[in-house]
Parts: sequence; C-alpha cells; structure tokens
Amino acid sequence: MLPIFVLTLRQLSGKWRLSITSLLAVLPVAIAILMVSFEGAPTVREFERTVLSGILAGAISPLVVLAIASAAFANEIEDSTLANLTLAPIPRWQIVVPKLLAAICVSGPFIAASAFLTGYFAYSVDIRAALAVTGAAIVGVALYSSAFVWLGLMTTRAIGYGLLYIVLWEGFFSGFVTGVRLFSVRYYSIAWTHGFDVRRFAGFDDFGFGFAVAASVVAFGGFFLLSVRRLCRMDVP
Amino acid sequence: MTTIGAAPVIRVEHVSRWFGSVVAVSDVTFDVMPGITGLLGPNGAGKTTLLRMMTGLAKPSDGAVTVLGEPIRRNPSLYGRMGVMSEHETVYGFMKGREFVRMMGRLRGVMDEAAVDKAIDLVDLADAADRPLGTYSRGMRQRMRLAGTLVHDPEIMILDEPLNGADPRQRVHFQSLLRKLAGEGRTIVLSSHILEEVEQLADTVLLIVNGKLAASGDFRAIRVALDERPYHVLVVSDSPRELAAAVVKLESVDAVNVDPDGTLVILSRNVRDLQIELPRLAQSASISLRRVEPLDDSLESVFGYLVER
Repeated sequence: MLPIFVLTLRQLSGKWRLSITSLLAVLPVAIAILMVSFEGAPTVREFERTVLSGILAGAISPLVVLAIASAAFANEIEDSTLANLTLAPIPRWQIVVPKLLAAICVSGPFIAASAFLTGYFAYSVDIRAALAVTGAAIVGVALYSSAFVWLGLMTTRAIGYGLLYIVLWEGFFSGFVTGVRLFSVRYYSIAWTHGFDVRRFAGFDDFGFGFAVAASVVAFGGFFLLSVRRLCRMDVP
Repeated sequence: MTTIGAAPVIRVEHVSRWFGSVVAVSDVTFDVMPGITGLLGPNGAGKTTLLRMMTGLAKPSDGAVTVLGEPIRRNPSLYGRMGVMSEHETVYGFMKGREFVRMMGRLRGVMDEAAVDKAIDLVDLADAADRPLGTYSRGMRQRMRLAGTLVHDPEIMILDEPLNGADPRQRVHFQSLLRKLAGEGRTIVLSSHILEEVEQLADTVLLIVNGKLAASGDFRAIRVALDERPYHVLVVSDSPRELAAAVVKLESVDAVNVDPDGTLVILSRNVRDLQIELPRLAQSASISLRRVEPLDDSLESVFGYLVER
C-alpha cells in the first residue's frame, strides 16, 4: 500500500491546490481573531454557531477536503493512469485505503492547524478547548474524505456535486431541518467537539456524543465500502 | 518461464460489448496461444475495447474471457502473471523513470532493485532513468511504460499500440525485444496500426472489423482463405502491349491494365496458375520479363479488403 500512498501524496500536493487550501484554512482563524478583537470573547454558543459550525465544519473543512479528496481517484481517471494501480495483483481495498489516508494526510494538517488556532484565540488561550475543536475537525476531515474519495470515483463532476452537497445539505437544509442534522457531517463534528470537552461545550447537543460516534463510524465505513465496491465493478479507463 | 502446454492462455468466448445502442464488439470468439498475436483493425473497430475486456479492465456485456483458465474480471491475483500496457500514454509527469518502474514493481511484489535496473536496460533507457517522465519524448515514455510492464517478468503481455511514438531505431529494438520475450515462452498480444511491423512480428493475426472478428490465424493462411479476392501483380517487360494481349487470354487472369509507363498490372484470382503460366507465355512469345511483383501481399491490403467487404 505504501507505493500508492506515496504516489497519492505527491499527486495531491500540487502548488495550486495547497495554496488555495492554505488561504481557506486561514479564514476561520482570521474571523476568530476579528471576533475577539472587536466584540470581546464570544459566548461559547455564539462562537460555535458562527465559526465552528457555520464556517469551519460547514464550509472550510468540506471545501478543503473536496478539493483534495475528490482528486485522489478523479485525477487518475482523468489521466487514464488508474489502470497502473488496478492491474496490480492486490485487492481493491488496498488501493482505496492508501488513497483515503493520503487525502486525510494532505488536508488534515491544514484543517487541524486552522481549528486549533481558531479555538485557541476564541477561547482565550484555553488549550483543552482548542484541542477539542482540533480533534473534532480531524474527525470531520476523515468523514468528508471518505465521502469525497467515493464521489471522485463515481463521477467526473465530483467538484460540482460536492459543492451542491456542501451548500444545500450541510449549509442550507441542516441549518433549519432538524432531521437532516442526523445525516450531517457538520453536526457530527460539533457533537465530537462536545464529547472531547464536556466542561466547556456541555448542553448544546443536537444529539448525543454516542450517536455521533456511531454515525461517524457508519458514515466513514459506508463510504469506504462504497469506494471499494465501485472500484471492483467499474470499467477502468 | 512457465510452460503452459497446449491449452489456450487466453480464451475469448462469444464476447460482446455494447455502449447504449452502439455495439463495440460483437460475438467474438478466439483463443490466444503462446507466441506473438497481433490484433489489427481500423480505428473504432473495437480493438481497444476487446483488449480491455481481455485484461479485466472492462466487463463484457455478454460472453466470457478467461486467462489461464480463470475468469479475468475481478480476479486481481492473475495480474501477477500479466503485464498490461494500455493505449493511454499519460504518465505521472512528476515521477522519475526509475521511480515509476520501481513503483510498478513494488505493486507487483518485486522488491529487488536489480529487477528495476534490468527492465530499464531492456528498453535501453538507463541514461534517462533519473529524469522526470514529464521531460521524456513520446517514444521514451512508451519505452519506460514498457519497462514498467516488464519489471515483474510476466508470462503474459498485453500491449495496446505499444509502437506509438517510437522512431525507426526504437521500433527495430522493440521488435527484437518482443521476439526475444516471445522466444522465452511468453504470450504476447499486441495491437498496432503499423501493419507491416505486425506482419513481421506476429505469429498469429486477429483481424477485427466493425467489432467482429473478420479473420484469424497465420497471415498467409488468411490470404488463402480470402481466395475470392483478386490479386494485383505488377509486371515489367520489354514488350508490355504484346504481353498484355497474350496474358488477357489466360484463364487465370481477370483483367490487365497497361500503365502509360509500360507497366502491366494483372488482376488474377488464381495467382498459383498465373505464376506458372506467365513465364511460359513470355518465353513462347520471346518477351523478356524484367520484374514480377505482387502488389498486395501485405496485411495492409488484406485489411483494406476486409474493411471494404
């Protein structure tokens, strides 16, 4: 699996992609600093709704992961190089695992750094809260990666469909349709934040931490299995 | 190299593939034995689709493909014994040639760096191996891709248009390399639009026209099977008009054209009789034959005929 992991890391580490990713990752930090500078320390609820849920988990994280994870297979399909991998005598899951890990490894540090700094500045140098936000953001990266790696295998228009999903599902419907939140990575991330730091974030759950953990495992595993299934059944260009 | 015996290495049985209402391959059946098999056909004939089904990259809409007696589709374990070079020439431009071959080897269980060096040497690219693939010429990319196909020493090789982009010297090198590999007992299937080279290389030819297998077997055997087709024979003599008048009376001759430069082109459906009768006729008429040459004894002409048919 290592050769595919290294190959994918190199494929996903293009200058343009990383530059755009860096710019996006800076955005929540800048907003947190501005909020603290002009309005004083925001309340936990206010900050969570505006920055953590709305901007970090609901927009920046999925956008960054979409740009990176959807390319893990889409680039190979577009360039017709996927056959180099699928014609190797290895099970298909051993192709999906390193691709998925590489996508997480490339997008994860940007989102993790962004989340940590955002939490750090917003909660007045509260390291524990910052780590809770960071941990939850990494879980979100993993979940989005699993979904977008699969999307990149399913369609050549992964970016377009991914944007629709982010704007409509994570951004619009999950904002006011409570039931949608049960199937929203954004709200899983928030629940993980609560779970990691009950002291600061208690009392704001849409659903319990236990449900978020179970739903995250199902979502991550489900999209991973769908990717393996797709790779087994598709006609490789 | 494994001795496979008389059993077919690749078996294609009643294979069809359609895309919506377009039939790309229609009810094709053949066996591939050890040695070099050439797959020929015009653009859009279905060669690549057929090769993709033979490698398991595409699923037949109907029929079955087996390799070494096992279904190839969704059977990755077979790939350890196969080397496949697809028609697509795109490479990982950021990767050095040696890195690419090494990666292809690692994915196929080859950890030995000597095998990487050997594969690169085989394609005569040792000097360029430490340059990024993005800086290679088209021909060099093809050769390095071939090295990646050879690195795990496969017993079956399927090569789609492998000669694309190669210059004449590289073609000669490539031909001798393939002959050497086939001589070691490998099974090689290659498609190409360079018909002359396939004619020189392939022990067996499969002609695909409009998604169907138009003919298969030894090139000359195919020609014999196409006995309804008139042959063109060029004749240069010292008395072309006299010879034309005499030749047209022969039963083996269908028509004679005399070119302005005095060259005769004889159309015959029975070349065997013509090659006996023509010298006799010339001798009896005291005509000197300077040149007698079949004009269409090549795959190109057979192929053209099959396409037109």
